[in-house]
Amino acid sequence: MSTAAYFIGLGAASAAALLGAVLPARRRLLAAAVLSAAACLAALVGAGDVLVSGHAFSVHTAQVLPLTGVDLSLDPLGALFVAATAVVGLAVSCYSVGYGVHATPSRIATATLPAFLATLLLVPAAASVATFMVAWELMALTSLLALLTDHRRRRETRDAAQWYAAMTHIGAAAILLGLVLLAAHAGGQSFAAIAAHRRQLSLPLTSVVFVLTLFGFASKAGAVPLHVWLPRAHPEAPSPVSALMSGAMVNLGVYGILRVGEDLLGGGEMWWWLVVAALGVVSAVFGALHAAASTDTKRLLAYSTVDNVGLVLIGVGAAGALAAGGQQALAGLVLLAALFHLVNHALFKGCLFLGAGALQHAAGTRDLDRLGGLARKMPATAIFFGAGALSISALPGLNGFASEWLLFEGLLQGFASRSAVTVAALLAGVATLAITGGLTATAFVKALGVGFLGQPRSEGAGAAREVGPSMLIGMGFLAGGCVVLGIVPGVVLPVIDRATTAGLVAGASRAIRPGLGLALASVHSEIDPGLLVGGLLVALVVAWGAVRLAPRSAELRSPRRAAAWGCGRDLQTARMEITATSFAEPLQRVFADVLRPDHDLEVTHTAESRYFPEAITFHQRVDDAVERVVYRPVMAAVAWWGHLARRVPNGSVHRYLAFGFATLVLVLVVLA
Amino acid sequence: MQLRHVDAGSCNGCEIEIAQAFAPVCDAGRFGARLVASPRHADGLLVTGVVTKNMAVPLQMTFEATPRPRVVVACGDCAVNGGLFAGAYGVAGSVHDVVPVDVEIPGCPPEPSEITEALRRLTGR
Repeated sequence: MSTAAYFIGLGAASAAALLGAVLPARRRLLAAAVLSAAACLAALVGAGDVLVSGHAFSVHTAQVLPLTGVDLSLDPLGALFVAATAVVGLAVSCYSVGYGVHATPSRIATATLPAFLATLLLVPAAASVATFMVAWELMALTSLLALLTDHRRRRETRDAAQWYAAMTHIGAAAILLGLVLLAAHAGGQSFAAIAAHRRQLSLPLTSVVFVLTLFGFASKAGAVPLHVWLPRAHPEAPSPVSALMSGAMVNLGVYGILRVGEDLLGGGEMWWWLVVAALGVVSAVFGALHAAASTDTKRLLAYSTVDNVGLVLIGVGAAGALAAGGQQALAGLVLLAALFHLVNHALFKGCLFLGAGALQHAAGTRDLDRLGGLARKMPATAIFFGAGALSISALPGLNGFASEWLLFEGLLQGFASRSAVTVAALLAGVATLAITGGLTATAFVKALGVGFLGQPRSEGAGAAREVGPSMLIGMGFLAGGCVVLGIVPGVVLPVIDRATTAGLVAGASRAIRPGLGLALASVHSEIDPGLLVGGLLVALVVAWGAVRLAPRSAELRSPRRAAAWGCGRDLQTARMEITATSFAEPLQRVFADVLRPDHDLEVTHTAESRYFPEAITFHQRVDDAVERVVYRPVMAAVAWWGHLARRVPNGSVHRYLAFGFATLVLVLVVLA
Repeated sequence: MQLRHVDAGSCNGCEIEIAQAFAPVCDAGRFGARLVASPRHADGLLVTGVVTKNMAVPLQMTFEATPRPRVVVACGDCAVNGGLFAGAYGVAGSVHDVVPVDVEIPGCPPEPSEITEALRRLTGR
């Protein structure tokens, strides 16, 4: 059943892409959306069946790819990623109907979204090097096309697409190199054959393979310093695409690290995983800091993705290190926490990106400094965005809390480890979790407070209207998922546990006791968010009842409405409100060494006297320090090399003939 | 008793005396009187000076922003009846022309001990 459902899903997504390309403008949007929603449902059923039963399926066809054929196999680890993609995809398909309703997207734009979805569903099922690389490249290409949807209207889109294309292909080249190396030495290119022969591989070889693939997968996952495409591509892509990129595609980077490191190479050395954890620590802190300093809604969310991927990588790295150190039970717990956080991140980041798209749709801008007052105009969007923001800030009763609690517990339990290096790494992980928790809360207080409360700061925000039902259903679906997983996390944890045991080769035992809450199996530690929320609700009801029923004076019984206190000023304008920039300013000042903000203050004086300024302009930019320090010099060097190389072919036929002759001589010399 | 001080157009004489009333010699604070930063936190207003035209609306808004029940203390001759500036250019009137006054403290300026005494009548200590 799982096989059939999964392939129906793939087929439906491909059919959606085809219909999106051929149907007339009026029908194609709806047809593509309905078919891709059906595809997601079918894939969810297929993946769910694999997860619940624990039985993988595998299929081989020789017809599709020449020479190698196609190997597809869905084990619980892959099924978890398919399921997460399918849930986000379902919401995105629904949302895309309303999103495209005003300006019907072009044929290519309508077709690329389901095609992107299909490749996202395909990658975790690939079971051989050739199949994997083909699926991976298809995913890169379809996501690049999807990113380019708005390239006619905005120049920045092309710039973002160039960055994305370069980063993703450098990464793919590294993965290809690593996997080909692996396949050549393991005597077969199917993943099963590689896993069976891994004991015969030498350690230097596996280390090289791991580092190469880690580079590639980290660039897809958006780990610092390979994250530079994320804050460019996510804001420029249409919101359904950025939701899929952030909610599903970056996950596959983590999937690749787990698949190669744990499944194919069998865990390997401890230092591999310490490198992964170190990447996670740097990404989490850097991403959270930039998220707190950003004023563009989607850029903020993109950096927050870097932050959350960092948290997941900390978990994956810690799990790998613990497993390599022989603590399998604990490694299982930490990996469970990391994968649970990954699923939760897919839910709340998908919801937030869709919400950001609704804001842009309604107010015409992504700039927080020009939004404001939207809670009254778009109440449902505000509630859904708020649910996502509270989840990502890890407030109890929402899913972010559940997974971060598990991650904290897992990392803290590891302090009993005998290896000093592991303890140091875990300590760094715990400290990172703590600091990013605070920074993330700051970032989302800013997004929610400045974006939705107060008075509108621009005409667009003032004229905003609530978005249509399909967009609300899309957002509400994911927000509902955040709430459900937050209150009863126990319903999905056993399923994720199965994926964890598949991910860790050495077979961790159950990390979680069955039940609706969170109860660790190995040590006595548990928390039940459902009880917590229930108790809170009861307390609220009691307090409300007490206030209603208490005897009160006549004055209190008839409440008086008064204007907001504005220090006695006659006129209150939106210019007096705190902006996203000013909210982030103190933090930016404290972390000026990392964020390196650029200030530019220009004062022009009146002609008569320098004491009277005529105009003052202030510009501020917070550029990515990594981009400035690492990428710009490399790009400048490449450009310089290109200019130098351009002098060689100067158009002279004599010179070209000389080149040909010299090459011939060289070849003869080498061969002789 | 928490009071929000509003300078409605004072010459700052009363302000100096109010500061002295809360300084160690008289120390109105030990009788339960306090100056606070927002009318939202206040039980009443402590208004000094004649009410100028520019300050009439802000005074009214501050009064509206104070939760009920609230008291208004007019401190100094100008606040009580216009004093030296009664009928002058740019003057809207004394405090009771703008908001209802509950306690008056005469004097130009009233001494710290007089201010403290009036506040003690409000706090009841």
